[in-house]
Amino acid sequence: MLRILQKHIGLSVLLSSVLFAAQPSPAQSARPTPPKRTSANLPPAPDQAAADRGHALFGQTCGFCHGKEANGGDGGPDLIRSLLVNHDEHGELIAPVVLNGRSDKGMPKFDLTPQQISDISTFLHARNRYVRYRQLYQVKEDIVTGDVTAGQNYFNTTGGCASCHSPTADLAHIANKYDPEALLVRFLYPTRRPSAAGKVTTVDIKVDIKLPSGQSFSGPLKHLDEFTVSMYDSSGDYHIWPRESVSLQIHDPLAAHLELLPKYSDEDIHNLLAYLVTLK
Amino acid sequence: MKPSLFLTSLALACCSATFLGQGLDSAKLLQQPVDTWPTFHGDYSGRRHSPLSQVNSANVKSLSLAWVYRANQGSIKSTPLEVNGVLYFTVSDHVWAVDARTGRELWHYAWKSAGGIHIGNRGVGIYGNWLFFETPDNHLVSLDIRTGKERWNKEIADLKLEYFSTMSPVVIRNHVLIGVSGDSMDVPGFLESRDPETGDVQWRWYTTPRPGQPGSETWPNPDAMAHGGGMTWMPGTYDPELNLLYWTTGNPNPVMAGQGREGDNLWTCSIVALNPDTGKLAWYFQASPHDTHDWDAVQVPVLIDGEFQGKPRKLLAQASRNGYFFVLDRTNGTNLLSVPYIDINWSKGLDAKGSPIRDPKKDPSTPGTLVSPSAHGGTNWQTPAFNPKTGLFYLHAEKSYSVFFLTDTDPKPEGYGGRDDKVWAAEFIEAIDYQTGKVRWTHDIGPGSAFMSILSTAGNLVFSGDNSGNVLALDPISGRTLWHANLGGVMNNGPITYELDGRQYLVFAADDSLFGFTLPAN
Repeated sequence: MLRILQKHIGLSVLLSSVLFAAQPSPAQSARPTPPKRTSANLPPAPDQAAADRGHALFGQTCGFCHGKEANGGDGGPDLIRSLLVNHDEHGELIAPVVLNGRSDKGMPKFDLTPQQISDISTFLHARNRYVRYRQLYQVKEDIVTGDVTAGQNYFNTTGGCASCHSPTADLAHIANKYDPEALLVRFLYPTRRPSAAGKVTTVDIKVDIKLPSGQSFSGPLKHLDEFTVSMYDSSGDYHIWPRESVSLQIHDPLAAHLELLPKYSDEDIHNLLAYLVTLK
Repeated sequence: MKPSLFLTSLALACCSATFLGQGLDSAKLLQQPVDTWPTFHGDYSGRRHSPLSQVNSANVKSLSLAWVYRANQGSIKSTPLEVNGVLYFTVSDHVWAVDARTGRELWHYAWKSAGGIHIGNRGVGIYGNWLFFETPDNHLVSLDIRTGKERWNKEIADLKLEYFSTMSPVVIRNHVLIGVSGDSMDVPGFLESRDPETGDVQWRWYTTPRPGQPGSETWPNPDAMAHGGGMTWMPGTYDPELNLLYWTTGNPNPVMAGQGREGDNLWTCSIVALNPDTGKLAWYFQASPHDTHDWDAVQVPVLIDGEFQGKPRKLLAQASRNGYFFVLDRTNGTNLLSVPYIDINWSKGLDAKGSPIRDPKKDPSTPGTLVSPSAHGGTNWQTPAFNPKTGLFYLHAEKSYSVFFLTDTDPKPEGYGGRDDKVWAAEFIEAIDYQTGKVRWTHDIGPGSAFMSILSTAGNLVFSGDNSGNVLALDPISGRTLWHANLGGVMNNGPITYELDGRQYLVFAADDSLFGFTLPAN
């Protein structure tokens, strides 16, 4: 099949990129998440002030045995994975353990107030919530680790980025529009990915169609699969043809991005990001 | 399979099950699927290859719609079972019985859910008149297939620990084999055998060893091992002659942060052979030692009886999520072939046992690591097919790149500990020569995020779907399209086929509906 399509398009590898960009769908407009583990709506965020108070108190009172982050320490079990904590809702199971201790396991009792126990419970549930829902995992500014000069060199030479892009034109102030994570993923392959400002940018794929009669059309591609091709012409009118009845040429502005993917080293992408985040 | 043994088991099964009426004659489980599709894969081999040829490459263009059943409860991800003219299928918390000739509903059962991750349900298992399915809130529910009335339900795992359940139970004699899912809270995976009458546990096999057991040396400490994951997401396969059950296991936990679990982390990301009567491990092969990319190895362990390097052998083949195609000797687990079926950039070659050696430089990192494939993998839970005549293994595969970030740098991380941002992917149906691992053809199906499985038939056809909502019939040798129909939604399940009243039916799901196709009546 690939060979058959190659005949029509000329660039086998292009087809996937064309299709990828050509079909807006919810699955592609948002950052893709592996479907098998998407959770339903997240439970409400905890009271952060209470969680912070609980964190400090936990560190002083419980951290020596259970670890300051409650993930286990010198003799005390991990409380994020604890069956009891996972079954606790609002401290009702945690309180008796804190107040009475567990002498059989060497845990002393702690004379804490109901408010203090509530704060510790809120902290433990906040930690648990963060581990449980990976949608909450933060990729932070510290992902920028590369060398700016090396990144600029890559942009201008090896990567060939400068043949389409300019730091003073289309990429001017690009670092103000996207956070580093979004910038990294976008320069690798800029699909319909929301920016930090929540705007969705699109990249139009242009298609040239030639009919057996000699008549030709040119404009944005709407849909392409192995059976049909559809597009909008310069007047905005919609057209569709059986795939085999026309010859077509795709102009994919993202083709160069795709060609780079197998060529990058991780150092290259870190350097390129370091350079791009300077374009404030 | 030796004929004598096969016939003996067949005869025993026939005698014990002839009075069942609407129920499943267990002898059907030991035959190739013709008038029945009695288990998730159609039979125990996992080949999803039907001997039916009434619909074939010469007449497939005449295939016509026979009926539609709209379930209207979200995308159907289950492979229907067909028993005595009735289809049984699921979405999470729901089971239907539908007439296999007309698509008319016989009953619909809805489970009252206490929660859990509702990503889909793979389907039901049937023993006589008893149907079994799992719920997102971790119950094994048994229904009477004649009425859809609940017989009993049993809790199988703790919802609060973020277990959830999706797989389709497999019935072997009087064992109902069930697995569990859930990667978020670092809980251990296990496989259970349950009694079909009472639902009681017959045995439980943990996918990670207990302290002191063989395999425990591949973990740094008992705590890491006890929280090491290895979910049993998918139904396994079975060789009646060897009496070996083949099951596949999920990734280790924490998922992407491996710094707290140095070692190979057995038996996660593995193909294992177990005795179905005792749950005792016979052998294992690890597809991804110390996985850090969420590449569970739960893809179907397909049983192939065929030549390998000139000798007839009992083989097992898997196209694994990490991008490798593996062939093993299924009598003892010896690796015969390990070849990537897509472009990958994370492996440094193979170890002495044929397992890939991961390149630690491609582990998730704070600044991000560009890895092919993405966490989604070269393939996922969608099921492949094998045609003994062509010797080709067919699957829905994907080429992709992701940036993998390590978000938990603690020496003792938790949960996923990282995540990946997928940057690009291309999807296709692929045919692999099982003797060499060479890709014979690829058929582009466009971009998307559907999970289309494969059905192979003796009518020289490969059925699957594309990401534009078309169901496809392909030539098994060339991958060329011979027939297609747009069903207005994408296929997320396994197509099946069966013959009733002398007519061959094909059943495909598209989003929330089932479509029955057959040739026009003469």
